[in-house]
Amino acid sequence: MNEISRRPFAWLVSPQARPLVPLALVLLLGAVLNAHGAFFEWQTQRAVFREIAVEGILACGMTVVIIAGGIDLAVGSVLALSAVVFAWLTLPHGWSGPLAIVVALAVGAAAGALSGALVAFARIQAFIVTLAMMVFARGVAKELSGGQKISNYVQAPDGHFVNVATPPVFAALDGRVLGGQLSVVTLVFAATVLVTWLVLRRLRVGRYLYAVGSSFEAARLSGVPVRATLVFAYLLSGLFAALAGICQAAQETHGDPETGLGYELDAIAMVVLGGTSLAGGRGGVCLTLVGALTLGYLQKVLSLNAYSTELRLMLTGAILILAVLFQRRVNREG
Amino acid sequence: MALLELRRVSKAFGGTLALRAVSFELEPGEVHVLAGENGAGKSTLIRILSGALTDYTGELLLAGSTCRFRGPAAARAAGIATIHQELSLAPALSIADNLLLGVPGPLFGLVDRRAARERAKKALARVGLDLEPERSVESLSLTERQLVEIARALATEVRVLVMDEPTSALPAPDTERLLALVKELAASGIGVVYVSHRMDEIFEVAARVTVLRDGERVLTAAARELGREGLLRAMLGREVTAPAVAAPRAARPARLSVKALACDSRPALRPVSFEVGRGELFGVAGVEGSGASTLLHALFGDGPRLGGEVWLDGEPYRPRNPERALACGVALLAGDRHESVLPSQSVLENATLSSLARFSPGAFVRRDLEERAVRPETARVRLKAASLEAACAELSGGNQQKVALVRCLLTRPRVLLLDDPTRGIDLGARADVHALLRELAEAGTSILFRTSDLSELMQLADRALVLFDGRAAATLERNELSEPRLLALMMGGSS
Repeated sequence: MNEISRRPFAWLVSPQARPLVPLALVLLLGAVLNAHGAFFEWQTQRAVFREIAVEGILACGMTVVIIAGGIDLAVGSVLALSAVVFAWLTLPHGWSGPLAIVVALAVGAAAGALSGALVAFARIQAFIVTLAMMVFARGVAKELSGGQKISNYVQAPDGHFVNVATPPVFAALDGRVLGGQLSVVTLVFAATVLVTWLVLRRLRVGRYLYAVGSSFEAARLSGVPVRATLVFAYLLSGLFAALAGICQAAQETHGDPETGLGYELDAIAMVVLGGTSLAGGRGGVCLTLVGALTLGYLQKVLSLNAYSTELRLMLTGAILILAVLFQRRVNREG
Repeated sequence: MALLELRRVSKAFGGTLALRAVSFELEPGEVHVLAGENGAGKSTLIRILSGALTDYTGELLLAGSTCRFRGPAAARAAGIATIHQELSLAPALSIADNLLLGVPGPLFGLVDRRAARERAKKALARVGLDLEPERSVESLSLTERQLVEIARALATEVRVLVMDEPTSALPAPDTERLLALVKELAASGIGVVYVSHRMDEIFEVAARVTVLRDGERVLTAAARELGREGLLRAMLGREVTAPAVAAPRAARPARLSVKALACDSRPALRPVSFEVGRGELFGVAGVEGSGASTLLHALFGDGPRLGGEVWLDGEPYRPRNPERALACGVALLAGDRHESVLPSQSVLENATLSSLARFSPGAFVRRDLEERAVRPETARVRLKAASLEAACAELSGGNQQKVALVRCLLTRPRVLLLDDPTRGIDLGARADVHALLRELAEAGTSILFRTSDLSELMQLADRALVLFDGRAAATLERNELSEPRLLALMMGGSS
């Protein structure tokens, strides 16, 4: 530590600043290319914040699970499942928005709790459990929707298809606040970050999550309720995935069983870009926020400047590796 | 000419000398026992022989010519095979595949299945095992694995076989089998370096014994001439004297009564009974594998209890898990540091982990409450840390141990279980820990501590239980405690 602080630009490699470096580089790239000034407009920033919201919510839950020493591959599928449940209850069945939200959240939480119980009690590896849940939840979503998008174009009892009114909850979640300056989903994301931060940094269970991820045996011998803690981690991840699914359904104005494919990988990428170690016991949700912004801005900069999707994917992969290498190099020096 | 010779070999770790100018000779066909207390330098010497340590001073001669191995593979190629305490077989692979791992060959060389099978059969026959070479190693008993490990060592040419406590985890009848094999191998001309803590074993196999103490060679003698008394005296380094008898303290009300407690987690614990009084410092002596750690973990609700009853302050005590044990006022300091501290968490977070409920009324952790409770405790154990925010991994071993101790203390335990609390920590920290334990006992905490260090036991214990091979060898009162007696009991002799 002292070694570092004596060097110039030491703040660049301090643990707090480290994840900010890739973000700063991406912003710098955006400012240089700037697409005829479009990069500097508030509209662009606002779009980034909206675009990262759904996956960012997933990344918050993922952060909690990874800190506890696990991984949750099921979040993309749970997102789709709860999107379908939410749309299915509100559109063909005409449930009220708040009630449908509660049920969809409960479905996500239950899926997460089931994964957690299998990890904690049956002692199956998290990767395998959540891989199975990923496939299973997707199957349930398809079964429930009959493989179709659930939209407001529904079959009436007499067999005819009619357009029903979309409940106001869709418009509300897809809307903007502050005079149209900020998307509601962005606010939901911000609230999720705040809740995750409270859980990790202020609640007792937060300490337990870090302890379990740091050393399961030491935590157990210290009297930490290790199993309950693990179940809680996956439950929270499932709950957040359901929240993301409701936002997704509102934005798409239908429940699509195919939505959220591959989102779990983006969520993991956001966590890792922020610098949370997959080994568990370290990291935090603020880091994940930085990781989400880095990924979001990278996409935005490349699309603004009309780079192809192919190139975007390749660059994203490369930057992910570079960011992790950079952090490890610095860690070793520290 | 000796088969293997060490000339004035020294090795320092940091500032401490683990070996000082140690010389050692091994004749072909000889079983040469290395004896000494923990920390005497035996493992350092073995690591030099096996090529694991390369930066030592002094000379190593194999059949008269000086060697300096660049690594374990080089030592193996020169004909020195080492069998470490932790077996190095790949559990999921078959016996034949494991035996193949010992044979050098090109990375992309083809494996001749039939030849490998034949060779495995032959190697197994040599150690007296009649097993199908296709069986996976994880399906074997501990004894069989130990023998397969030896078979692997014998698969290529061996001149020197180094064995580090090969019987420590074996049941008694299998020990006989292994010792017979060792003698047989020696008779075939192999030189065997044998480390053991068991008295019977030493005198059964050894031709000669070399005793190490504090990194120096005390003596090398023929086992027959040395005798048990002589060995104990050499290991302890002084004449056998009566211990300073502490004034017997007033009779203490019983706090913990253990009746026929048995456990089958490994190493197993056969039914053991004893009582510990309020404010008593109760020593549990036993070498690795004696069941002493199992006993402490069983009292902490960790691991299945086979039978027996435990009473805590007159109430039946049967915790399902460590969480419950802590709730009953029993705290454990685990022997393995990986199990006692969280390396990436801060000093503060480690310290309050076991008593967090007290610092988080209504689920929110109150930092101010934590700091107010932790600061006096860290001062009391003289913790040296940059701050309460410092990650535990940044602290020295002794200070990590102190953090773990603070964690236990903050639970305000009635019974404190300590598994080798001063292992691997420096003298200063050790004295701090000892003073603290006395102070705690004075205040009424009952302390059970396991140690493999006899001088520590002598300094601290009011009474001591000696375990050997999972059984209670003896319970000694303060005035019965003496190092030779303890050592003899720990090594399976009679007192």
